[in-house]
Amino acid sequence: MRPLFSETSVAAVRLIVAVTFSVATIFIDSRFDALTLVRQVIKTALWPVEQVAFLPGKVSTEVFGWAQSQELIVTRLESLALENERLRTEQLKLQTLRAENSELRRLLGVQERVNERLLQAQIERLSNDPFVHRVTINRGLLAGVAAGQPVISADGLVGQVVAAYPHASDVLMMTDATHHLPVQVTRTRERAIAAGVGRMDRVELRNLPDTVDIVPGDLLETSGLGERFQPGIPVAQVKEVIRAPGQPFARVIAEPLAPLARLSLVMVDLSEDEL
Amino acid sequence: MIFISTWLVTLLLIAFPYPAFLTLALPHFGFLFVTWWGLMRNYQLSMTLLLISSLPVDVLYGTALGLHGLLFALIAYALTLLGPSIRQVNWVRQSTVVFVVLLIASSVSYWARTLTGQSPEFYILVLQAFVSAVLWSPMRWLYDGLAQYTQEIGAERQ
Repeated sequence: MRPLFSETSVAAVRLIVAVTFSVATIFIDSRFDALTLVRQVIKTALWPVEQVAFLPGKVSTEVFGWAQSQELIVTRLESLALENERLRTEQLKLQTLRAENSELRRLLGVQERVNERLLQAQIERLSNDPFVHRVTINRGLLAGVAAGQPVISADGLVGQVVAAYPHASDVLMMTDATHHLPVQVTRTRERAIAAGVGRMDRVELRNLPDTVDIVPGDLLETSGLGERFQPGIPVAQVKEVIRAPGQPFARVIAEPLAPLARLSLVMVDLSEDEL
Repeated sequence: MIFISTWLVTLLLIAFPYPAFLTLALPHFGFLFVTWWGLMRNYQLSMTLLLISSLPVDVLYGTALGLHGLLFALIAYALTLLGPSIRQVNWVRQSTVVFVVLLIASSVSYWARTLTGQSPEFYILVLQAFVSAVLWSPMRWLYDGLAQYTQEIGAERQ
C-alpha cells in the first residue's frame, strides 16, 4: 500500500513552509523596516567574523607600509606638508566667509546653520552583491553614528547611514537602485530627484520637463528638501541630457563627483540631527 | 560541528573585502555552501537550520532578510532530489547540473529583488551562477577537507 505521506511529500511540505516564511520575512523587512533590531543583533554577532576577514587586508597594508622606502615616505610627507599649508590657507578664507555668511543670515533673519560635526571613518568593505551598493564603515553607535546621517567625501556626497551597529555602520550609496536624493542644479536652482540605477558611475534625474534648462557639465548639489541632507553638498555632474522626441520628460544622466568605487575614507555628518 | 565550521568559512569568504572590480566575477559562496550540504550531506540538513544560517548571509550582502533563506531552501530541495543521481558523476556533469539549479535560484532571486525595489540585470545573476558552478569543484574539495578535519578533531576529543 502506498503511504499517505511519502518522504518526498514531507520534504515538499518543509519547502513550502520555508518559502512562505522567507517571503513573509522579505515582505516585512523591505516594506515595514520592522526587522532592524534583528539585523543589528546579527551584525553585532558577526563583528568577530568580519574582523578576521579584514585581517589579511590589514596585515598586507602594514607589510606594504613597512616595505615602502624612506625616500618615498619623505616625498609623501613633503607633499602632505604642502597640501596642509594650502588647506590651512583655505580654512582661513573659509572662516572669514563663514563669519560673513553668519552676519548676512542674521541681517536677513534666517536661522543660522549649525556647525558641521564631521566624523572620519574608514570603509571596511563593499557589499559583494553586485546589485547592492552598500559599504560598511568602521564607526558605529559608540562613535555617535545613527541611521539617516549623511556620508560625504572630499569630493562630494557618498550616501547615507542606513543601519548603525555598535562598532560599524552600513552606508547606502546614492547610486543604489533604492536610493533617491533631492537635488538642485547649481546654475539654475532647478530641483529634481536623483535616483540611483545600480551603477557606481551614474545617477539619473527622471521626470524633468522636456524644456528644462540643464546641460552637460552642470553641477548638482543637495537641495535640502526632505530635511535629510543639508543644502549645498556637491553631488554629481551632468553627463548627458536625453530629450526623446514625442516624450514629455527629459532624462538626465549624471556622474557622482565622489569616486565611489575607489573610496577608502569618508566623513559622517553627525550634525544631521540638528538640521 | 561540521555545519558550524563550513558555515563560518562561508561567512569569512563572504565578508572578505574584495576589490570593487572583482564583484562581478565573484561566485556566490552562500550558494556553494548550500550546494555542498544539499548534495553531500542532505541527510544531516535541516530546513530550520538552513533558514537561520541564511540570515547572516543576508546581513553581509545587504539584501532583504529572508531573500537568501528562500534561495537556500530552493537549492537545498532541488539538490536533495537530484543528489543520488549526480553525486557520483564526474565534476563537469555535476557542475552543469549545479549551474542549472543555481540559474533557477537566480531567476527567483531576480523576481524577489525586483519586488524589493532593486533593478538587477539578469546577465549578472547568470554570470554569478556560472562562476559559482565553475568553482563548485574546488569548493567541494575545500568543504570535504574541512569536514574531514572537523571530524578528526571531534574524534580526538572523544
